[in-house]
Amino acid sequence: MGCVSSKQFKRAEEYEDSSTLAKETTFSVNEVEALRVLYKKISYSIFKDGLIHKEEFQLALFRNSNKKNLFADRIFDLFDLKRNGVIEFGEFVRSLNIFHPDTPMAEKIAFAFRLYDLRGTGFIKHEELKEMVLAILNESELILSDDAVEQIVDQTFKQADTNNDGKIDYEEWKAFASKNPGLLKNMTLPYLKDITMVFPSFVLNSGASDDEL
Amino acid sequence: MEGRGKILMERYEMGRLLGKGTFGKVHYARNLESNSSVAIKMMDKDRVLKVGLSEQIRREITTMRMVAHKNIVELHEVMATRNKIYFVMEYAKGGELFDKIEKSGKLTEATAHKYFQQLISAVDYCHSRGVYHRDLKPENLLLDEDGNLKVSDFGLSALSGSKGQDGLLHTTCGTPAYVAPEVISKTGYDGAKSDIWSCGVVLFVLVAGYLPFQGPNLMEMYRKIQHGDFRCPSWFSHKLKKLLYKILDPNPSRRISIQKIKEATWFRKGPEGPRIVKEKITCENATTNAAPTLPVRRKKIAHDDVKPLAVTNLNAFEIISFSSGFDLSGLFIEKECRKEARFTSDKPASAIISKIEDVAKMLNLRVRKKDNGVFKIQGRKEGRNGVLQFDTEIFEITPLHHLVEMKQTSGDALEYQKLFEEHIRPALKDIVWAWHGDDQQQKE
Repeated sequence: MGCVSSKQFKRAEEYEDSSTLAKETTFSVNEVEALRVLYKKISYSIFKDGLIHKEEFQLALFRNSNKKNLFADRIFDLFDLKRNGVIEFGEFVRSLNIFHPDTPMAEKIAFAFRLYDLRGTGFIKHEELKEMVLAILNESELILSDDAVEQIVDQTFKQADTNNDGKIDYEEWKAFASKNPGLLKNMTLPYLKDITMVFPSFVLNSGASDDEL
Repeated sequence: MEGRGKILMERYEMGRLLGKGTFGKVHYARNLESNSSVAIKMMDKDRVLKVGLSEQIRREITTMRMVAHKNIVELHEVMATRNKIYFVMEYAKGGELFDKIEKSGKLTEATAHKYFQQLISAVDYCHSRGVYHRDLKPENLLLDEDGNLKVSDFGLSALSGSKGQDGLLHTTCGTPAYVAPEVISKTGYDGAKSDIWSCGVVLFVLVAGYLPFQGPNLMEMYRKIQHGDFRCPSWFSHKLKKLLYKILDPNPSRRISIQKIKEATWFRKGPEGPRIVKEKITCENATTNAAPTLPVRRKKIAHDDVKPLAVTNLNAFEIISFSSGFDLSGLFIEKECRKEARFTSDKPASAIISKIEDVAKMLNLRVRKKDNGVFKIQGRKEGRNGVLQFDTEIFEITPLHHLVEMKQTSGDALEYQKLFEEHIRPALKDIVWAWHGDDQQQKE
């Protein structure tokens, strides 16, 4: 076991190259470097192994490492592209890229679908939607009757599930999300445009080349 | 010219040289994507590191970002390569304020009054956040394309030290023309008080067209500054003179505070010209002769505003999207800095609406409704950074369950936080079921 963790440690230190990540995403090299400052901060907050664990992610989001939240769990699982229980730096940058204000809506729509497809079946099912509604109501300390919850879910299914088969497929989701842009507002983080100023210490050890000037 | 026409970081096309500072040059540049103009300050990393300013530079970027005010040059982005550091800043199209004086000699009191109000607004805002300029001088006072003042280099005390093109009104080679006496004597000083002194010198120069403290040599100038030895020209109004003597008091503990400057007659009203007197008369006429019509008219406008407010209906996915688990902003900002707050309510929409209107009335705020179910709520006075404004939107989950979102849209963030925490939040308690994100962890 010790062997595994030291191996992980080593790999984490060799972060993916900033210019590669910049080419693949909306971020510039400097912005990737600024994200690395953030990544380091989070990934050394509890386990100090240079990888983001779920507790560290929760700590960063809620200032509390024990706070359980269905949606934060979903986000963590989707960020963890390799599904090895931790978010690596490359995964962190590529995933946050979806939340960039300049990222095309289609990518945000696709990401949201995977987020809500809780069991990964390729559909958002009635009971999944209900589970999520119950989770947010619980989070908001709102107690609604089961009928009221059913009604909210049914109402939405009536609008989204156009072929009436009791589940929302990807095509239906695309159509529904395009018609209701309000439901994607949590897929955009305006702060991502300011990261060079939020994590400015990258300027001292930037590896960007001076070729341009 | 070096660097001109080149593309920086695939984002900016470099243009002409705007100025030179101790650590590097400032260039005009164009954002290739948005086509907007910016000013880029370039610094050699070597030189910054050599003088041990690495920690300072990090702090100063954070400070510059913090002081977002309509009269302060905004920092857009920071960039760096192995050898250089770049600050991408707002470009002040109108150039230096003092070029205006060099061309036209001096400004009218009314014009100077406008710039001074803007200068004090910027300085007051920064001081409220514990940020002091420490180097207010002509080169740092710029104008935007609408002729509004933009103060540059706030929070950049260690990095500025610029060598401007020498001119009559420019700080010539370390001439302390704008520097407070306690700064010159290096006795340790209060950043707020020394900034106020510099503002006084600027005000004097704007209206006089020359410096208040001058001498055949540096020693003589020092002496005059130490004694606050200056004379106002005859064309200065009485009220302006009175204010200037209070600002240019060599004793920092006796020197007027920003708060008192803001209360001074000249600051509030400016010079009394015939134009203002005339306005007063028409205003009086309006209240005496046309008094009955005025309230009626007002009522009518108010009536137009009172449309039945359509509450936004939420579908299940929209309800879900309000989860704090989706809100990744916590990675980037402190919770206290958030501009929005949400609460759930188990009251009908009509009860929520009338409560919000009552609270606004109690706090003397103006309420406007928009068609899409948003209340725009506004302060009635200028704050530290313009008029406070926030939007309140009511979403329906069921007819008896609502979600209300309040979001600041303009004005000073600190003023809003205070108003919200001390007044709005407690006043709404009757209709609030639970505030979002409000649990034990906040009390930690």
